[in-house]
Amino acid sequence: MSVESKSKFTNIEIKDFRQYLREKPADILEKLYNYSSICLAVYRELPEIARQFVIRILFVEQPVPQAVVASWGSKHYAKEQSNACTVLSELNVWRPAAIPGGLPAWELSPTFKKNLKIALLGGGRPWSMTSFMDGDTKPREISFLDNYAKSRWSCVLHYMVGASATNPEGEGISPDAVRILLHANLMKRDDSDGSVAITRQGFQFLLLSTQAQVWHFMLQYLDTCEQRGLNLAECLSLLFQISFSTLGRDYSSEGMSQGMLTFLQHLREFGLVYQRRRKECRFYPTRLALNISNLNSSSRNLGTDEDNAKERGYIVVETNYRIYAYTESTLQTALLTIFADILYRFPNLVVAVLTRESVRQAFRGGITANQIIKYLEQYAHPDMYTETAIVSKSPLPPTIVDQIKLWENERNRFTYTEGVVYNQFLSQADFITLRDYAQSINVLVWQNERSRTMVVTKNGHEDVKKFWKRYSKSGS
Amino acid sequence: MGPPKKSKRDSKGGFSDKFAKKRRAEDEAYTQLVEENDNDNNEADGVPGAAAKNVEKNDETIQDDEFGAKDYRSQMQLKPDHQNRPLWVAPNGHIFLESFSPVYKHAHDFLIAISEPVCRPEHIHEYKLTAYSLYAAVSVGLQTHDIIEYLKRLSKTSIPEGIVQFIQLCTLSYGKVKLVLKHNRYFIESPHPEVLQKLLKDPVIQQCRLKRDETDLGDNFITNVTDKKAVPSFGAKAAGAAPAPGTEATDKPAEGATTTVPDDITNFYDKIDNEEDEDEANLKTVSFEVNQEKIEVLQKRCIEIEHPLLAEYDFRNDTINPDINIDLKPAAVLRPYQEKSLRKMFGNGRARSGVIVLPCGAGKSLVGVTACCTVRKRALVLCNSGVSVEQWKQQFKMWSTADDSMICRFTSEAKDKPMGCGILVTTYSMITHTQKRSWEAEQTMRWLQEQEWGIMVLDEVHTIPAKMFRRVLTIVQSHCKLGLTATLLREDDKIADLNFLIGPKLYEANWLELQKKGFIARVQCAEVWCPMSPEFYREYLTCKTSKKMLLYVMNPSKFRSCQYLIKYHERRGDKTIVFSDNVFALKHYAIKMNKPFIYGPTSQNERIQILQNFKFNPKVNTIFVSKVADTSFDLPEANVLIQISSHGGSRRQEAQRLGRILRAKKGAIAEEYNAFFYTLVSQDTMEMNYSRKRQRFLVNQGYSYKVITHLAGMDQDSDLFYKNREEQGQLLQQVLAATDMDCEDERLPGEIGAPRAGSSKKGGLGSMSGADDAVYYEYKKKSNNAHAHPLFKKFRS
Repeated sequence: MSVESKSKFTNIEIKDFRQYLREKPADILEKLYNYSSICLAVYRELPEIARQFVIRILFVEQPVPQAVVASWGSKHYAKEQSNACTVLSELNVWRPAAIPGGLPAWELSPTFKKNLKIALLGGGRPWSMTSFMDGDTKPREISFLDNYAKSRWSCVLHYMVGASATNPEGEGISPDAVRILLHANLMKRDDSDGSVAITRQGFQFLLLSTQAQVWHFMLQYLDTCEQRGLNLAECLSLLFQISFSTLGRDYSSEGMSQGMLTFLQHLREFGLVYQRRRKECRFYPTRLALNISNLNSSSRNLGTDEDNAKERGYIVVETNYRIYAYTESTLQTALLTIFADILYRFPNLVVAVLTRESVRQAFRGGITANQIIKYLEQYAHPDMYTETAIVSKSPLPPTIVDQIKLWENERNRFTYTEGVVYNQFLSQADFITLRDYAQSINVLVWQNERSRTMVVTKNGHEDVKKFWKRYSKSGS
Repeated sequence: MGPPKKSKRDSKGGFSDKFAKKRRAEDEAYTQLVEENDNDNNEADGVPGAAAKNVEKNDETIQDDEFGAKDYRSQMQLKPDHQNRPLWVAPNGHIFLESFSPVYKHAHDFLIAISEPVCRPEHIHEYKLTAYSLYAAVSVGLQTHDIIEYLKRLSKTSIPEGIVQFIQLCTLSYGKVKLVLKHNRYFIESPHPEVLQKLLKDPVIQQCRLKRDETDLGDNFITNVTDKKAVPSFGAKAAGAAPAPGTEATDKPAEGATTTVPDDITNFYDKIDNEEDEDEANLKTVSFEVNQEKIEVLQKRCIEIEHPLLAEYDFRNDTINPDINIDLKPAAVLRPYQEKSLRKMFGNGRARSGVIVLPCGAGKSLVGVTACCTVRKRALVLCNSGVSVEQWKQQFKMWSTADDSMICRFTSEAKDKPMGCGILVTTYSMITHTQKRSWEAEQTMRWLQEQEWGIMVLDEVHTIPAKMFRRVLTIVQSHCKLGLTATLLREDDKIADLNFLIGPKLYEANWLELQKKGFIARVQCAEVWCPMSPEFYREYLTCKTSKKMLLYVMNPSKFRSCQYLIKYHERRGDKTIVFSDNVFALKHYAIKMNKPFIYGPTSQNERIQILQNFKFNPKVNTIFVSKVADTSFDLPEANVLIQISSHGGSRRQEAQRLGRILRAKKGAIAEEYNAFFYTLVSQDTMEMNYSRKRQRFLVNQGYSYKVITHLAGMDQDSDLFYKNREEQGQLLQQVLAATDMDCEDERLPGEIGAPRAGSSKKGGLGSMSGADDAVYYEYKKKSNNAHAHPLFKKFRS
């Protein structure tokens, strides 16, 4: 994932699907593999070599010796191969097995095997969402779906920045969504007055691209779905079914269980699917739901359409640290305030300035320089793509990028070395002897003759201690 | 402006010594003047009251929104076709202009006329309406209602009411009356009879009125209908180029094609543009004559009653002052922006007084020479150093038909015979010198005072304080004043007063645009961070302030960076100037590296010799200079500038120094950058803050500074000095001992170093700064936990 997460404790951590599964215990994975759509999704997530392996042994009805698997690739790529093997084991896609003769072998998980076959070849239970036989009398345009998804999703974001009051749609979000935000630690309930406020992880979340936001949000949702009485495997399965569907086509929710219908309603709230009415069984997946686990594709961005392109690039960054944002949205303005000082607001323009203080403020909130730069790049105004921008591969002025990074480096000027302090020497001679010894074996970190204090590295401590014992014994 | 104490004692000593001292005394007197002026508060007289009005305050009533920003959304409505209009006007007078708008060109010309540019980077420019800028707008012929109307049309939104009022307030009374010298008689002239009536009701002005005969009573003004006057054309363009309408016509088809430009904008633009040139075409003006002796009283009174007089000089009809025989050479071709600035000055066939702002190296002298050639009356050129006097003389000889006999230099070292000459070039300090002069100089001064000068060109006008300028004005009688400068700014912002002493700003060029068109060099600005060596930093933290400066300038890693950069650029075949304000450092650096240097005490001859060598001798590629070279040293060859110490946070100095390498270079197209400007900064010292401050002006002009934290290859270079601790320690001792050492040992500048190859090699700054591998010096990162700020307390779980 592109987001640097130095510490789990303070910073938001975005897992991709593979990381998500890796942390699940084997029995849950086994349950998940009962659904062919999940198997397909897992298969698509695998590294290319791992996919090869799976396909090769999918129809082999007995374990395959590990040596055979290793022989399938060139020696030059041994590292990639072993990496692929690890991934497959971690996800419980295959497991070690013994074959007669005691050779170690690999065997695909039977459930996974069965359901992947179904996903690839058909058969099995029908998917819970089905296509309508008769077309919608008033089919929805893709652009309509995009707008719908966008407005729904920005409702969530608006809520996060506390701008729901001025939200043009005037719609809040459901208590369920609030619970997810709280669970994800994106927002926090103040103990004293019960109000909900954004956390530093929340700020970081806001700077992510939309697809990363949706994916992270859905993972958090799935974490809590058991509490709601929903079946994780069912939900995930439906999510992937929707994610594999076609944009602009309508599907039917007929035959779904009550739990699934509830789940669908939630997806509707976040804008992943569109439904005219709550009771109607016809629904349209939106761009937000497509390819949901693929964090790196840009196709899912809400702005691929012509008219959206303008809205997507709305920020002009100047070499004099000014930011001009063509926006009326309180959300976008609020996002800018995370790392910039807003000077003026015109009806369709926000004038802001990047200062050392404002950027450091963001750093203190756990936001990294890269996140700020990514965000500005992501929403750069089309006019920012000048000739020089193409050369430097970033629409932002290089000096601004440099400066933001320098401001970040400014905060990290200490280097830490673990060490052990020696002090309270009885004589200067003792001190000098020990110091010189520490210096000679290169473990001395710091010393001061006047206060007879020295620091040696942690690794050197043992040696110095031994030397001291020998020295003091021989001396006394 | 007290006289320097030294000058009294200069009677003894050798002849040449005496002169050197005297000249130095003059220099000092001048700097003293500049400094004194900074704490001088009684400048307010001579500036009209409206000028003090500040539109910035207009938005104080506006509530801050939840983000701490000024929320103007309730103040204005967005127009439905806002996408085709290029600008926003804030209630506090700031104007934001999209440079990518199709009507950018129109809006730009208009905004330059009515407002001050605040910053002009690549995409969105900021301007500011001020009382001065509006005064300037009126004086070049714009009318109040036109300004408001055009601003309305260009704006994406409706214009805040406060702005309209401000414009009216500032423009209605300004620029309505002109002081014109015609047929050697002074007239107060105005197209608005009611304004003249008002003036005449004032008792002071009544006294100044000159009545030729007793019958001329009451309100009988002299009425005359002016015919359309040909706008003078300049130099070689005389025959061909028709002014504005012609050039405008060529642009129009292109704009018509895009069709996104709302018609009202283009129509109105043409109207305004034509008006500018032809507003006198068939306008009825009324005037009355005034007494020549009382001009000064009159001017002052007019300012008090908020009708400042615009000085215009009808030089064509001046028959008393003889014409001088001077013309531009056919080879002198004006660049478009030079012509434009001169058109503003001579827009209606008369000469307006005012200031023209062009970046250094963009050809200010040619503008000055052309102005003199257009007026063709006796011209006085004032500049601020002996070297630039020589350079002005050369400029005159290069661009115009003037020869040695016509140009008289009047400096402490060169005193030509002034009688009979047409052009006198001198320094501000020569004119305002208060001490006893030589007999010769006394004669020249007397002659100078007796003359009625046609035009006075004030070079580097930003450097002279109002007080000194007033002295110049009392000494010299001139019909028209042209100020030239690159940076109309002073740290104390007193520059605004010059507007009323000289005249409004007539034109200001956009640096970035000139750079794009290749009129000035493309400069890569870089700030090189030099880590303080531990020993130096320890001293730095403990010693007293005056020493601190020396410590961060003499920082060994700065020395090494400097040496490395010099070597690098010498290998490329570049010409390098190194600037240091600190004389101790200057000498130490230069002597250690064996390079010639120039500073205050360097004699005029030596200076010229060094500069000549730098220009023509392929073996002299690097010179060290002190701040004497900040302005007006014309060094067209130099393309690398290294700054090792500077005068605090002076934005002007930074811009002036950049100007030393701005002159367009050969092979300008070949490389991305053809000039380099390095500032060496000792890390973690006050210098970092100064440096940031200094850069503000250039950053607002669209320049960007690249920060270099590590010069790749410097560590490998074993030829650099101060490599090891012992040498650094010795240096530190020298620095600590330096208190009184100042400049006692006046050694001759060192002879020239080893011969070096003269060919220019290509290589980007990137590869040199280590951008190829790693620019940032990464320290080991540690967990963010340690940075626990109370503000984020509640976010910590």
